[in-house]
Amino acid sequence: MDRRTVLKGLAGAGGLALTGGLAAPALSQGASARTLRFVPQANLANFDPIWGTQYVVRNAAAMVWDTLYGIDAQLQPQRQMVESEETSDDGKTWTFKLRPGLKFHDGEPVLAKDVVASLSRWAARDPMGLMIIPIQQELTAVDDRTFKWVLKQPFPKMLYALAKNNAPCSFIMPERIAKTDPFKQITEYVGSGPMKFAKGEWVPGAKAVFEKFADYVPRQEKASWLAGGKQIMVDRVEWIVMPDPATAAAALQNGEVDWWENPIADLVPVLKKNKNISVDIGDPLGNIGSFRMNHLFAPFNDVRARRAVLMALSQEDYMRAIVGDDDALWKSLPGFFTPGTPLYSEMGGEILKGKRDFDAAKKLLAESGYAGQPVTCLVAQDQPITKAQGDVTADLLKKLGMNVDFVATDWGTVGSRRAAKTPPGQGGWNMFHSWHAGADCITPASYTAIRANGDKAWFGWPTSAGAEKEVVSWFEAKSLDEEKAAVGRLNKAALDDVVYAPTGFFLTYTAWRKNVSGITKGPLPFFWGVSKSA
Amino acid sequence: MLSYILRRIVATLPVMAIVALFVFSLLYIAPGDPAVVIAGDQASPEDVERIRQSLGLDRPFLVQFGSWVWRILHGDLGTSIFTNLPVSAMIGQRLGPTLSLMMITLLLTIVVAVPLGVVAAWKAGSLIDRVIMGFAVFGFSLPVFVVGYMLAYIFALELEWLPVQGYTPLAQGFWPWLENLILPAIALGCVYIALVARITRAAMLEVLQQDYIRTARAKGLGQGGILFIHALKNAAVPIVTVIGIGIALLIGGAVVTESVFAIPGLGRLTIDAILRRDYPVIQGIVLLFSFVYVLVNLMIDVIYTLVDPRIRY
Repeated sequence: MDRRTVLKGLAGAGGLALTGGLAAPALSQGASARTLRFVPQANLANFDPIWGTQYVVRNAAAMVWDTLYGIDAQLQPQRQMVESEETSDDGKTWTFKLRPGLKFHDGEPVLAKDVVASLSRWAARDPMGLMIIPIQQELTAVDDRTFKWVLKQPFPKMLYALAKNNAPCSFIMPERIAKTDPFKQITEYVGSGPMKFAKGEWVPGAKAVFEKFADYVPRQEKASWLAGGKQIMVDRVEWIVMPDPATAAAALQNGEVDWWENPIADLVPVLKKNKNISVDIGDPLGNIGSFRMNHLFAPFNDVRARRAVLMALSQEDYMRAIVGDDDALWKSLPGFFTPGTPLYSEMGGEILKGKRDFDAAKKLLAESGYAGQPVTCLVAQDQPITKAQGDVTADLLKKLGMNVDFVATDWGTVGSRRAAKTPPGQGGWNMFHSWHAGADCITPASYTAIRANGDKAWFGWPTSAGAEKEVVSWFEAKSLDEEKAAVGRLNKAALDDVVYAPTGFFLTYTAWRKNVSGITKGPLPFFWGVSKSA
Repeated sequence: MLSYILRRIVATLPVMAIVALFVFSLLYIAPGDPAVVIAGDQASPEDVERIRQSLGLDRPFLVQFGSWVWRILHGDLGTSIFTNLPVSAMIGQRLGPTLSLMMITLLLTIVVAVPLGVVAAWKAGSLIDRVIMGFAVFGFSLPVFVVGYMLAYIFALELEWLPVQGYTPLAQGFWPWLENLILPAIALGCVYIALVARITRAAMLEVLQQDYIRTARAKGLGQGGILFIHALKNAAVPIVTVIGIGIALLIGGAVVTESVFAIPGLGRLTIDAILRRDYPVIQGIVLLFSFVYVLVNLMIDVIYTLVDPRIRY
């Protein structure tokens, strides 16, 4: 008999006296094996994947809501809820037919009118959807299973838009829910995906529970990322939010949880030593580190100042600050697109390669007219990735002879302050740090950070006619070769004008108990195919 | 006494109103914008503005404050910006774990700290006294999270006696409820035990030098009777005071403890709400905590009259 049994016995005796014999429900080993306990990357604070676009919401939503198409591991859109599609000869009319037998979690069939309402709500919030709306002539249900999207001009990337995995995904909801204003949160979580959301068990900030949807009919093809047969092998998936990485690591070692989405690099060696735990790269598409310079104000309104920083920065310094000494976790990135994907390019990337030239950088900075004014550098201390990058940047700028105004704050403050277009001394800023999921940086379609259309661009508001021209070229490309050429030119133009500063490409681990099997690498945690033994 | 309690309760209303105004103003001027957090990184400024409008965050300060006060007066703490759930329901969900943790910690403190303080005073200057006070200094100096990690490492990972994290409601069984709270309560209780033990020792030392104790000894009363019947009762006022004040420490410490042990209590809810700028939730929790403080103070005052009949209001 071990001490824990003794303690249980003693407490049980005391408990009987105090509670009049309240008994704990005994979970059998089998029941335990049917529940997968997962520690997500962040708290699921809301659950409307169109209203809120955080990755964690997208990841949970992918279990509950299905999409018409799904991107697969080859980055190709595949049919998911759709049985077939037709395009008119002029490329302007798309006619889609739904698979038979699709059902929502409330038992109602999935109809074309549900799809029309869902796509309308999605398009109002999604960057690609917002490109479709101006060229849309009509989006209508033809019959219960058929709907038609008529455009004023062809949109060749239509299937990619409907399949893409970056938020917001085009999740299909019942019409009554999808008619909610896209800027207001839905309150019913009824999908047609492989799992149902147990709203009654939801404790925002602590726990979210998903139950297997018995009426879900998976596709026959093998599952591949968001495409194929989504076979759920467990009865329940419990998301247990743990803000403290050390606690998550201990809970995984102790067998209190089964799968931890993103263990921090510092704790990975401990997990690797545990014979009951598997550790592997979670998302092969990784992340791209970044800092953005404000193109509206001095000194970074002058491209020479921006280039000076690029000439001097060491991506290795940034990456080691984020991932430590594990060389398997990072690589230098002389460009903006995700390494290992078809459009990856290093064209124009020389400025980020080779020995760092501080003398030339200082000279260029002086030529830009920099005269020692403070450079307001926003750093979110509560996000390890931004904190690490901010420390490296502060050191870099000081070495360049710049006067750094290091604003250490939290992500909430950075998030709002970076939107200010006022001068840095009046509540604005010169630099802030972030990172982008590699899955979002595969093509220009989903890559908000690469856009350089001035006022309409992402924070920092870069203007680069060259880069913008190539974004259009990519959208109009008719073959993969044309797409590659356009993205190569885009990469060069964006580096020449320093749309933003890439600090390197990094991967993160995922860790799970060895009695769990079927975990696949991908841009989000996929729960289909994952099983657990007792 | 009843009229005193009523007067005190009425007096809490302006205090809570001032606290409410202060908290609301503080949040209004603090940097950070929940609409930005909600909209996510891909959102345009127009999207953020529309979300801000839909949440009513673009309205003037006085309008927002007035609307909030009006709802409070009608017993409505509002709706969370992020979860779209009533704040009262969210607080209700989290109250159980925090109350359980505080209750166990308080119990642990009284059971451990008071006897330790009494013994230390009884053996003042001896090795036992020095050892107890040494532990008190140690407990007082260690941050809650350090103690928490140490306990989790030893008792959960190495010995596998107790779980690392989580909370099970009492309705699911006494042991499942208790086993999740033992380590957090010890971690949270360390500072508290140290504080109460030191105060108990000091108060007891003062009382033990009084003439009536000498008289009790001269009359042949046993040591236990002297310590626990005569001395402790007369030393109780400062002890009760520090236990009451310590509840403030417990609430602060619970924020850290609940994070370290992944307990879904009010402490974690507070931190999450602050980081996301979920204003209605922050305001609701602050109001609740203010009310708890006022209530605890009131209870302490009432207990004074019970332990020391000379105190009258």
